[in-house]
Amino acid sequence: MRRVLVTFVVLVVPALLLSQGPRGSAAVGGSIRGRVELRRPAAPPERRPNVADLGSPAAVRDISDRLTSVVYMEDAPKSPAVVPGHVVLDQRDERFVPHVLAVTTGTVVDFPNSDRIFHNVFSLSKTRPFDLGRYAAGRSKAVTFDRPGIVRVFCDIHSHMNAFILVFNHPFFALTDMDGRYRIDNVPPGTYNLVAWNEGVSSGPQAVVVPEGGEAELDFALR
Amino acid sequence: MKTALRATLLFVLTIGRISSARAQVLPSEPVSFADGHVTISGDVSAAFGTSDTGFFNYSDYEHSQLRLFRLDLASAVKLNDRVSMLAEVRTENAGPVRVYALYVRVRPWTTRAIDIQAGRVPPTFGAFTRRTYASDNLLIGYPLAYQYLTSLRADALPLNVNELIAMRGRGWLSSYSIGNPVPDNGLPIASGFRWDTGVQVHAAAADVVEATVSVTNGTLSNPLFRDDNSGKQIAGRVSVHPREALQGLIVGVSAARGPFVSATAARGAVGDGHDGEFTQTAWGADIEYSRNYYLVRAETVFSEWRVPAVGAPVIDVPLRALATYVEGRYKIMPGLYAAARVDHLGFSEVTGTGGPETWDAPVTRVEVGGGYSLLRNLLLKVSGQHNVRDGGRVTSLNLVSAQVVYWF
Repeated sequence: MRRVLVTFVVLVVPALLLSQGPRGSAAVGGSIRGRVELRRPAAPPERRPNVADLGSPAAVRDISDRLTSVVYMEDAPKSPAVVPGHVVLDQRDERFVPHVLAVTTGTVVDFPNSDRIFHNVFSLSKTRPFDLGRYAAGRSKAVTFDRPGIVRVFCDIHSHMNAFILVFNHPFFALTDMDGRYRIDNVPPGTYNLVAWNEGVSSGPQAVVVPEGGEAELDFALR
Repeated sequence: MKTALRATLLFVLTIGRISSARAQVLPSEPVSFADGHVTISGDVSAAFGTSDTGFFNYSDYEHSQLRLFRLDLASAVKLNDRVSMLAEVRTENAGPVRVYALYVRVRPWTTRAIDIQAGRVPPTFGAFTRRTYASDNLLIGYPLAYQYLTSLRADALPLNVNELIAMRGRGWLSSYSIGNPVPDNGLPIASGFRWDTGVQVHAAAADVVEATVSVTNGTLSNPLFRDDNSGKQIAGRVSVHPREALQGLIVGVSAARGPFVSATAARGAVGDGHDGEFTQTAWGADIEYSRNYYLVRAETVFSEWRVPAVGAPVIDVPLRALATYVEGRYKIMPGLYAAARVDHLGFSEVTGTGGPETWDAPVTRVEVGGGYSLLRNLLLKVSGQHNVRDGGRVTSLNLVSAQVVYWF
């Protein structure tokens, strides 16, 4: 009986505590949802005028990716460690797909080249400078993002290719869908400041109160 | 030169102030409006180096590539899926604004990679001619084939071979007794700083082979807006970009031929009706291979010019020149690279009163340097050059220079 009690105290109690939320309270996590309105969406990427080229380049014009925003907590509560995973930032049709990634620290981002031409992915961001060199179609290289921050990614050969990777040290963030809607789940009850980001432009922090087990709503307007 | 220095300092101070204060305010993408139908980009560079007393890096009598402030603004106006207008204006050392490029691009079939370009068009010949922007150039100096001024001129001609030999190593300011009597700079093998005017057709097949042909007013060494003789230049280029295992390799061959002597100079030498006979003919081959962190390029240009035989001792035509360079770049870490170029320009021999002699002084240049990107589109380059010439006032010269490059 004593052994059973010790086992319960050592294994089950911490597990129960952890499962009850980041603050160790018995509260049930809530959600934050809302919409980010882009009053003036960022212009789609354009090639530099190819005056010295002997012929027309392939067209690159796709606004959809630039509508993706990221909503994140500025003052996130402590949370159980998130197991970082692998995500993919593809190079396709002389574009990075997706254009915006949001990941937690420790995530490994794979950069496959799915084009028929060379690419050279690099970033000079202070958060994570890297240069993967030139590599051919069908090959992939990876970068681990260990520090939180915003990483701007470019191709050294094709200046119109660019992407953003937002790295967080907590899991309380979300990407918007094509209508600008977002949802952050499993948020411990409390008052938080949220920020919306789109193409390098951020909103000011906005406070939101998350009720226990309930849902809070917060909308943003950018640009 | 004071204007150049002032403009360079102003540019460097402005860039420095902006980059230290709020680097992110500098645009990093081209400006576009009218729903993407109009796009404008810019290239700004400012170079300052030690005094080039041997005129090794001059592209004309006034402009040294090592002491140059240059501003380029390029625009593309897409009228519809088939027709675009492209233009570029340039100013050097805060001097007059010149139209560097102005042409219409027509793609007759939207599903086929065939383009027709007419106006002041990009050079068909060679590989380096289309990457003369400071942001594309690995170093600060330019390959000799595209910049170094030989003693030959299009508007003035030597009376005999002795007059030609007397100008060896003086391409920065040569003068002859036939044609224009005013001393002026000579011609490079191929001009990297002016574009020709005419019509160009370009076709690509499966992103593997590209072919271009053009008919233009000027020649490689003397591109023109308005023709100054009765002939046209025909130029062609084929390049191959293999796939699979050889991805990263680009191989190209080029050829060009056209009359280069102005009608006035030809008339002064041999009378009317012969200006189409004095041609420049050139062949070129280039190769590029890149992978991982390195890039290697090599290019060779062979040119021959036919000039009138007027007085004795006559000039043995054609006058030939061969320029070859090999350059490479290695990326050391994000934003930092090292680069080097080895370059040689040689000339054929002619026989004057004093015996056989190359018609111009051969030049060898070794340039070593590197670049550091403060931002993606803000680059700082430094380089050191060693120049050796077999003739002229200065036969050996070491030069050091630095350059700031910004583009959007």
